[in-house]
Amino acid sequence: MALNGDDEDYEWEPPTEAEMKVIQARRERQDKISRVMGDYLLKGYKMLGDCCDACGTILLQDRQQKNYCVSCQEMDSDIDKDNPALNAQAALSQVRERQLAAQTPEVNDGPSSSSSSTQASGSVPQPRPEHCEGAAAGGRTPLPPPAVPPPSAPVPATPLPSARPPAPPQSSVFSPVLQDAEEAVLTKLRWATAQLQSSASLEASIQLCSLISSCANSLRSLKELSQ
Amino acid sequence: MPPSERLPLEQVLEIVSALEAVVLRSFGPEGGQVLFTRDTGQAMLSRSGTCILSALHLEHPLARVVVESVWKHSRGTGDGSKTFILLLASLLRGISKATSRGPSASHAYGFTEAAKAAAAPYFANKLLELVSSDLDDLIAVNVVPYGFCVSLEDFTTHSGRLLLASFFHTRVSHVHCSYLSELTCEMLNRWKYKSDLPYISFQFLSDNFPALHTPVSGFPVSSSRLIEGQVIHRDFATPCLPSKQQPVKVVVFTDYMQPILLSTGDVLKLGYGGGVTPESSIVHFSAWTERSLESVIAELQSLGVSLLLSAVKQSDAAVALATQAHMSLVECVSEEELSLFVQLSGVTPVSRGCTIQLEHVAALSFCRPILLGGHRYVQVAFCESPKSSKVNPCSLVICGPGEGQTDQYICAIRDAVCMLMTTWEPKHTSETTASRGTLQSDKGTASLDMTPTFQSTANKPYGLKKCVFEPGCVIPAGGTFEFLLSRALPNPSSDTNGLPSVSQLLANALLSVPRQIYSHSPKLFLQAQTRIMSLVQNPSNPFSLGLKESTPGPMVDLGLESVTCKYQLILAVVQCATSVLRVDTVLHTRTALHTQSKKHTIFSRASTEDEAED
Repeated sequence: MALNGDDEDYEWEPPTEAEMKVIQARRERQDKISRVMGDYLLKGYKMLGDCCDACGTILLQDRQQKNYCVSCQEMDSDIDKDNPALNAQAALSQVRERQLAAQTPEVNDGPSSSSSSTQASGSVPQPRPEHCEGAAAGGRTPLPPPAVPPPSAPVPATPLPSARPPAPPQSSVFSPVLQDAEEAVLTKLRWATAQLQSSASLEASIQLCSLISSCANSLRSLKELSQ
Repeated sequence: MPPSERLPLEQVLEIVSALEAVVLRSFGPEGGQVLFTRDTGQAMLSRSGTCILSALHLEHPLARVVVESVWKHSRGTGDGSKTFILLLASLLRGISKATSRGPSASHAYGFTEAAKAAAAPYFANKLLELVSSDLDDLIAVNVVPYGFCVSLEDFTTHSGRLLLASFFHTRVSHVHCSYLSELTCEMLNRWKYKSDLPYISFQFLSDNFPALHTPVSGFPVSSSRLIEGQVIHRDFATPCLPSKQQPVKVVVFTDYMQPILLSTGDVLKLGYGGGVTPESSIVHFSAWTERSLESVIAELQSLGVSLLLSAVKQSDAAVALATQAHMSLVECVSEEELSLFVQLSGVTPVSRGCTIQLEHVAALSFCRPILLGGHRYVQVAFCESPKSSKVNPCSLVICGPGEGQTDQYICAIRDAVCMLMTTWEPKHTSETTASRGTLQSDKGTASLDMTPTFQSTANKPYGLKKCVFEPGCVIPAGGTFEFLLSRALPNPSSDTNGLPSVSQLLANALLSVPRQIYSHSPKLFLQAQTRIMSLVQNPSNPFSLGLKESTPGPMVDLGLESVTCKYQLILAVVQCATSVLRVDTVLHTRTALHTQSKKHTIFSRASTEDEAED
């Protein structure tokens, strides 16, 4: 069957384990969508001839003539579960990773805190930006340090300070560390606010808002610590 | 809305998977029932895949195509609508997996996009070739030897009841299975033609089933019974009832006894030839029609007729004159009941303009009103005659606690008869639909007016049907057929392009059926598989599947299913998959192009009317 060029055929390799996991996850998600859609059909919803613009799933229509997309409105998205701002699990796993990484460098001074955290994050798997597929694989297998800058240009190195653990790990000297931490967080907060005001992209604004909320959370926890 | 769009395989799979999810929970002997309710309070209870799918609101054209295929298949064989969807979904899943060989995002595709789009129809076409050419031989060699043939004499004993019981297990609750199968067996027994093929009696029953059953709600199922003769679902229009003395003479009218004066749109020209004269007025005309009516009644009286069956509503004058002459009249008898009556009694109906002669008069042994549920009907019983001595006509009264349950039992029995008809279809090697014997040669009647109802109305799927197995061939149920066939399908090493072979696709799809049957306990699936594989490898095993009916093996306790029905199911599924995958583009139109298809259930008829109103 001469359906394709020969050279493309020779380049094909069987999928790696990570990719198999992605395929498996996607298949399970599709099965779940079908099951939910079947339930809605039995409830009396109408299956329309159109697809959802965002995700391509078949649209359903309820008795009140309102269109309903199963995967957009009900299912967790494929990649949202890796965004620490939206999912507690992802945030928790990221906190643990940071703690693990910050144990290795013994010095945890204030001025070098940001640089050490940069170094620490360099060897720690980072969650990839939301719209990059394969984030599921990225969450499970260790990635090389992000040599490619995140595609969202207005928010460089966004996850770094926002995902900082609220409590500095195993440091006996609290106060100067806490102050430096507060200062750094406030700086970032100010910078994020400035960026948010000038931001034109929806994705970037969402990320900036999440950064601001995590900065606020960090500040609150730092204040609790200092009391 | 774009004017046209391509139909990707993923969307097809999504639609079929959604339909699969709908019927999955009702699948198998352990499946559950679906209760549909309307805003009017009407309820429908069903485990039949066709009923469930027809009741859904589906606007997507592909979903409608699939449901239409299911309906056609079910109409032809009576069974296997849920298995249809299950097989179709697993087949499409297998094809989808075979065509998408790499993760989509970052790697080079195993196929180009165009090649990927063409791969699915390629698989489907190859599959169609495989099943059209090799499937019947594969089944005949590898599957049929593990089953056995049930002859009609043994039908009413163990095997036939088992076949019916396993069918009813998938349709009604297990409490009522045995009772309904007993009832159906008894009815089939009474309608058996002893010297003919069982197929003809099954076909007759299937074609005339609407006229041969009466639903009665409000009674328990165990009140269902068989009653002698035929029940005409109308009450007497005249107050007098036929005399009790035998035989009761009856004449059937298909048209008005009194010529109608004028109906809407008619133009009556009086005295046309010689101009309008004082004699040719409307009064003379109506007097003439009354005189003709009186002469008809007088002739009927002279022939001793005491019962008149009419297909139309007779005029008041006719009813009054019939009452005066002590004749009973039943009006507005449905076409199916009238044709059945004509077949069983051997009478010729009186049509417009013909004089009444002896051939139009039939004799009945009795005719009396019968009260069934909240309605009073007319029960007629036919005289014993040499021609009809082989058959003992009876009618089925099916009771149920509510209307929904009664409909469920009626559908189940009707489909059971259809399934038996498919199983006992005589062996033919031609590809056209088999020429089916009718009753006329036996009955010696010449009721040509009703011939359309004599022919079979079953819709053969796609006309590619071959009856290649012995009539009555059955095999133990519980996935035996699927295990044996999947093992028998050839498993060549993948061809040079690295594509999986289509026979492997089919084999994997077939295994999804027993997997679903045993979904509540995967251990049972493995046990069943090993048991059948070991039987295949050791044919001399004492616990082999019952090869003779007299010594049924332990597997027969699982129930029986028909090999022909399974074969036709696989054919229909592959044809549907091919037609679905061959769709390149969906064109959106503003007006509906399709006409409403005729369907059994009330729900689907009403729902299509609703959609037409939108």
